[in-house]
Amino acid sequence: MLSSEKRSLVRFLVIYLASTLLLFSLASWIFYSSAKHHLLDQQRETIKYEAELIKSKLRVLHQSNSFPLIYPHHSMIDSAIYDLDKKYIFGTYRSELLFNDFSDKAHLYHLTKVEPYYLGAVYLVTSRTINFEPITKLQKNILIFMLAAGIIFLLLGYFLGRLFVAPMRDSITRMNHFIQDTTHELNTPISTILTNIEMIETFGKHEENKAELKRIEIASKTLSRIYDDLTYLNLNHQYHRQIVTLNISELVEERMVYFTGMIEAKKLNIIVEVEENIMLDMDKNDAIRLIDNLLSNAIKYNKHQGTIEVMLSKTYFSVKDTGMGIESKDLDSILHRFKRANKSEGGFGIGLDIVNQVIQSYDYRLKIMSKVNEGTEVRILWEK
Amino acid sequence: MGKIVIILSILSLFVCANTETKIDKTIDETCLSCHRQQQIPNGLIYRRYLMQYSTDIRMEEAIFKYLKNPSKETSIMPPQFFLKFPIKDTLELDELKLHNSIKKYLKRFDIKEHLILGK
Repeated sequence: MLSSEKRSLVRFLVIYLASTLLLFSLASWIFYSSAKHHLLDQQRETIKYEAELIKSKLRVLHQSNSFPLIYPHHSMIDSAIYDLDKKYIFGTYRSELLFNDFSDKAHLYHLTKVEPYYLGAVYLVTSRTINFEPITKLQKNILIFMLAAGIIFLLLGYFLGRLFVAPMRDSITRMNHFIQDTTHELNTPISTILTNIEMIETFGKHEENKAELKRIEIASKTLSRIYDDLTYLNLNHQYHRQIVTLNISELVEERMVYFTGMIEAKKLNIIVEVEENIMLDMDKNDAIRLIDNLLSNAIKYNKHQGTIEVMLSKTYFSVKDTGMGIESKDLDSILHRFKRANKSEGGFGIGLDIVNQVIQSYDYRLKIMSKVNEGTEVRILWEK
Repeated sequence: MGKIVIILSILSLFVCANTETKIDKTIDETCLSCHRQQQIPNGLIYRRYLMQYSTDIRMEEAIFKYLKNPSKETSIMPPQFFLKFPIKDTLELDELKLHNSIKKYLKRFDIKEHLILGK
């Protein structure tokens, strides 16, 4: 699975599952509250029923002449009678203060009036301990339902997600195949052109067409670099790095020479501040790719007769141009593949993506500072 | 000293018991003797007051009010009751004695005292 596809799928799944979970939680909570209320109501009905029984028995006791008067009581339900001043008369409660204490969450209470006042009782309080067993069972059932629904929706979301990202996957696959085919087809003609230019330069048969030959060389090198970048992107996952201790100072100067033709063609002013013998453990192709892309961008997006400042020290490598700059809103997305802040120049928008990938591979840090119409500085900090 | 305390305690108990006996005697002589003679159902009257007024204080006030001014209007009993039992005369007892006698009456016929929990 492609990384962008995986990312999209994960994002979709997270949003889909979070919204589904939220919806289900809300529905479950409403159902739970209603069902719990219903269960408690069922239990409350028993104490209401018992209260009515006690009331009818109080009437009988009030008229009875056979003493003692046996107060009715239920094994699971407590009750007590109170007079008009809410003073305890009799009951099964141990506490006489219970009349004013209905806050106990473990019990259900029912207060009813006795009319007329049999045995002087005006208020009758009945209560029972709440049976939490059906409520716990309900909670378990809801939890199991949520879990099962979660699994079903996860699977459903996964298949839906795969279905939705399929067109994107096809497009990316087609683009990758296209790049693969193009790079394969470009390889031979570019190599042929560059070899022949070298031969002409070596055997000195180019005096009358020197300028034209230089332009061909620049164009061929540009093509060659694009070919290298595309190959790198295409083989990124299988790319084998050979880490060696490199003299970056020498490599920067070497690559500057490589770009001399392009620099001269645009009549750019070069300021080079390279400290000698800066050594780094890197793959040589990665280092070349890093330096080439930054130099190439600085040349390409610079204004005619502009300036390029190349700086290398123990802490950083920086390339600064005097081009049109990048708008601040584009700075965050400029590292994305195929993103081009300025479309006036050629290119695929893969240069900074490659730079970013190389930097991430070595845990370096990238800093881009830019001002519109003043220029851009791209700085790579070696510190990890 | 101890002997004095014991003697005083015995004396106070005696005085109290004597007062209680006096009240019992008053209620028997001024109220219940007539009730017995006329076969007035005391328990029934008590239950009727209890069912109407709920608390001893309210019952005492209602009975006091009736005894001070006995009439069908101030009585709690239904009009048919007076077909069989005539309206009594106003009691000549002073208010304190009357209150104490009513309290004693209410205590004597209190059916709440007979309430027990079944097994």
